[in-house]
Amino acid sequence: MKITFQINGIVQTVDTDENTPLLWVIRDLLDLKGTKFGCGKAACGACTIHVNGEAVRSCSYAAKLAAGQHITTIEGLAAGEELHPVQQAWLEEIVPQCGYCQPGFMMATAALLEKIPNPTDEDIDANIVNVCRCATYYRMRKAIHRAAAIKNVNQ
Amino acid sequence: MTRNRLATVFVLLVMTLAVFGLAKSGLPAAAPFAPTPAADQSVADPFTTMMKVLTHQRCVNCHPAGDRPMQGEDSHYHNFGVRRGPDNHGVAALQCLSCHQRENNDYSGVPGAPEWSVAPLSMAWEGLSRVEIAHSMLNSANNGGRSLAEVVKHLTEHELVLWAWNPGVDADGVPREVPPVPKAEYIAAVKAWAAAGAVIPAE
Amino acid sequence: MKAAVGVGVLLGTGYLTRPVWRRSIAGMANTADAPYVGDTKTPPLWFEVTADNEIILRSPKVEMGQGTFTGLAQIAADELEVAIERIKVVHAATASGNIDGFSTGGSTSISSLWMPLRELAATMREMLKNEAAKILGVDVAALSVADGVITAGERTLTYGEVVKEVKEWDIPAVPTLKEVSTYRYVGQPIPRVDLKDKVIGAPIFGMDAALPDMLYGAVVRPTAIGAKYVSADTSRAEGMPGVVKVVKEKDFVGVVATSQVAADNAKKAIDVTWDIPKTWELSDIEAMIQVGQGTPYVIQKEGRAASILEAEEGIITAEYKSPIGAHAQMEPNGAVAHVTADQATVWISTQVVGLTREEVADRLGFDKEQVNIQPTYLGGGFGRRLHTPNAMQAAVMSRAVGKPVKCFFDRKEEFQNDTFRPPTHHVLKAKLAADGLIEAMEHNVSSGDVMFGSPILPGILEPIVGADVGAWRGGMIQYGKIPHYRAVSWRVKLPFATSWWRSLGLLANTFAIESFMDELAIQAGKDPVQFRLDQIQDDLAGRRLQAVIKAAATRANWQDGVLPNGRAMGFAASTDANTPVAQVVEVAIVDNEIKVLKVTCAIDPGLAVNPDQVRAQCEGAIIMGMSAGMFEKMIVRNGELQPTIYGPYQMALMRDAPREIDVEILAGTDAPGAVGEPPLGPIVAAIANAVFRLTGQRLREMPLTLV
Repeated sequence: MKITFQINGIVQTVDTDENTPLLWVIRDLLDLKGTKFGCGKAACGACTIHVNGEAVRSCSYAAKLAAGQHITTIEGLAAGEELHPVQQAWLEEIVPQCGYCQPGFMMATAALLEKIPNPTDEDIDANIVNVCRCATYYRMRKAIHRAAAIKNVNQ
Repeated sequence: MTRNRLATVFVLLVMTLAVFGLAKSGLPAAAPFAPTPAADQSVADPFTTMMKVLTHQRCVNCHPAGDRPMQGEDSHYHNFGVRRGPDNHGVAALQCLSCHQRENNDYSGVPGAPEWSVAPLSMAWEGLSRVEIAHSMLNSANNGGRSLAEVVKHLTEHELVLWAWNPGVDADGVPREVPPVPKAEYIAAVKAWAAAGAVIPAE
Repeated sequence: MKAAVGVGVLLGTGYLTRPVWRRSIAGMANTADAPYVGDTKTPPLWFEVTADNEIILRSPKVEMGQGTFTGLAQIAADELEVAIERIKVVHAATASGNIDGFSTGGSTSISSLWMPLRELAATMREMLKNEAAKILGVDVAALSVADGVITAGERTLTYGEVVKEVKEWDIPAVPTLKEVSTYRYVGQPIPRVDLKDKVIGAPIFGMDAALPDMLYGAVVRPTAIGAKYVSADTSRAEGMPGVVKVVKEKDFVGVVATSQVAADNAKKAIDVTWDIPKTWELSDIEAMIQVGQGTPYVIQKEGRAASILEAEEGIITAEYKSPIGAHAQMEPNGAVAHVTADQATVWISTQVVGLTREEVADRLGFDKEQVNIQPTYLGGGFGRRLHTPNAMQAAVMSRAVGKPVKCFFDRKEEFQNDTFRPPTHHVLKAKLAADGLIEAMEHNVSSGDVMFGSPILPGILEPIVGADVGAWRGGMIQYGKIPHYRAVSWRVKLPFATSWWRSLGLLANTFAIESFMDELAIQAGKDPVQFRLDQIQDDLAGRRLQAVIKAAATRANWQDGVLPNGRAMGFAASTDANTPVAQVVEVAIVDNEIKVLKVTCAIDPGLAVNPDQVRAQCEGAIIMGMSAGMFEKMIVRNGELQPTIYGPYQMALMRDAPREIDVEILAGTDAPGAVGEPPLGPIVAAIANAVFRLTGQRLREMPLTLV
């Protein structure tokens, strides 16, 4: 089945079984490797993308649902060479260790900041529930506050 | 009085009488299938049939009394601290829609149906008896301002309710348990119960 | 040859296995610095200078988040005399010839390469200068070097220009190294060199490898403990959409298809016959992991602890337990293999590059030189990838279809085919002297294997050493002033794979010992920090341990008992691979749950090559230790290891992480020591000790659960 959607600002059409998890469409058909497979069961959040700006776990999202939607992946967070405030903050706070889970966290954080520009620590606890085995949560929290500050300055 | 209003008054009257009747005699009044104390399991009354479904733990899982939905046959709190949020659809970056879509996902084992969300607090069923649930369902202050007919329509036609008979598979690919009553029988029971006056027994 | 015969004779006569020898070996193993096993003399193996004056550093150690690439770049930049931005660290493929003869693990990458890499970089610098001198026709002494540019008076040459002329390198003697105090990068909190790639989602992991014409493989892995592959009925799978080939080997069955989904679906349609001799339950495992079961090895002995602790009265005793632990690293194991008639290339996240090459070569019937392993950035290692036999499966499937094949575990397979952290049981006994200090103390620990059975160490170690070094790591008593002490390791072979899990036995052993020390301090009516300080011996290791204990206690404003704000502090300290760490936690109980609000950590890793990354490793290790200590637990049910997904396998999340982690770095020696694992030691005991003060509940089992 042919499915057409916009991804990172570009219209793409893929030909795949309609129930293929969007994660594999993104990684294998569109060769965008930033979105990761961690569990395939919507439990870890490594596959988090945006669908129309909302955080969605792409391993649990059938390709057919993407038809006509606006998809954003980690590759589309930056505006060309200019990193997104979340990415900038992640750099400043030197957050990543192994780095595998980080795109999912950054996507979840970016979605959070669109709706809650100045999240409290309680907001962060409730919204950011991805799994990081290297346990970089301590620096992530600092980076989320920093990203909010960068974003507020940019507005 | 208009016909609708008359009908409503009649229904309310019957319900009131039924309540009084229950309070006095312990038996449902004007119920076509009044259960005897040693009820024959194979001929359950429509109310019992209906409530066998609606008290199933997986229905109650999404009608929590607090901030957190439950999941699974054992009704543990939903993993990852998922919570109700300001409008019953989760919180900003962790909405129901982050994982649950309009249909089940067989790859991830995540269940799905249209309008997947937590029932509003007014429809909290957690900790309630079947009678309390039934009263809540019929109370327009609790049920989103629905009339009996609208309640019946919701119970027998809404995809999220009927999802119970197509609950998909879990993360291991194991099919989820369906309610103890087949769908057609449940639908018939709901309608029969309503037609007979939507009588709620004492217990 | 003579040495081998000698060892054989010693073994044969039982000489090497005598308890005193074993204790001696154990003692050495506890404190020895692991040397780097590989080339340390051939700079061109390590460095490639590009025409753009960039230096490619081929690292034989892999980067799995522990910051090794950054530390190596710092060391190299300082001796090579280049701005660190010029250095690009890459994983050395085996075809490059720069192969680690051991593995990446044990917190040894920086410590074992500190001297060798400094020497290699300094030598490379001199080689470049020597060649420049020839090109410019001047004496080497007339040259000066700065940021990759060599100057002789008015003329300059970049390193990139120099190498263009070189046909063959003369490798001179190692020059005098610079003073560490003059280094620009070493000792500074330089931002990680792999940061940008990791925040833009660059395709750097094994899971991201892709080749043109690549197909997708899936292998049917066992779900039951002890299951051996017998045969498979693949008839249903063969005709399924996208299936290219079903691959049946004597030890596994797999399927190759045109997409991940097609491979996964076809895999589900394969019916495997397994030989499962026994259906295991958790109670079986718990019955095996008991002090008193299995084979005991005395790993530490001073004085007459055993006989003193046999007394009828005055003996304090306690038991502790830890469960089976999963690695749960975020990137599943897997590989992309491309096998032709006489070559094989495998892209893989692995901690054992050389071993993987050998296994693939053996399996394919190739010489080692025909196999090239290209390591990738690991999405988590933690010891899980100290054996990666799945590379063989990908290679076999690639050869079967004549195309590159990508084959990865799914998450359930990860949980059920892990090489777990073994469960443990501890019995601690002590007798206090009249002054309240410890007169005699004994630690008995029963554990599944960690080291034995791992292919990265020679099998000969088992009969010689007896006790599993990994299992008893952290299990020795570090309070050298105690007159009589003894540590005994009880070795149990479990029916499922147990192996290296970050810090090995340190996590559970320190939980037991440091909880017990707290219990003893309370019995003795003493402050737990002073109680420890008073029993540490006055040698270098003891002084370093005392220093971190004092630093942590001071920095945290240590107070025993419940604090005015309703919280309590807990203290613990341990030494691992010569790096002492002390931690103070601040804990509250909220809704009958343990909340760790703050952790103060003092660590002495010797010279901190990158203090920011030392801090990061402490932060991560502390929370990972908390995760294992407070939430994680594998069980066995109906023959299967469970659970098989995040969530049910509960781990620390953002909300559980302490809001404050304060790390102080001390430098008790002038060379870099272990960093990645030592901070895992104290955390769980510190939490349990704080919880006791708040609730009166002494939690002796991980995961810590309030009644």
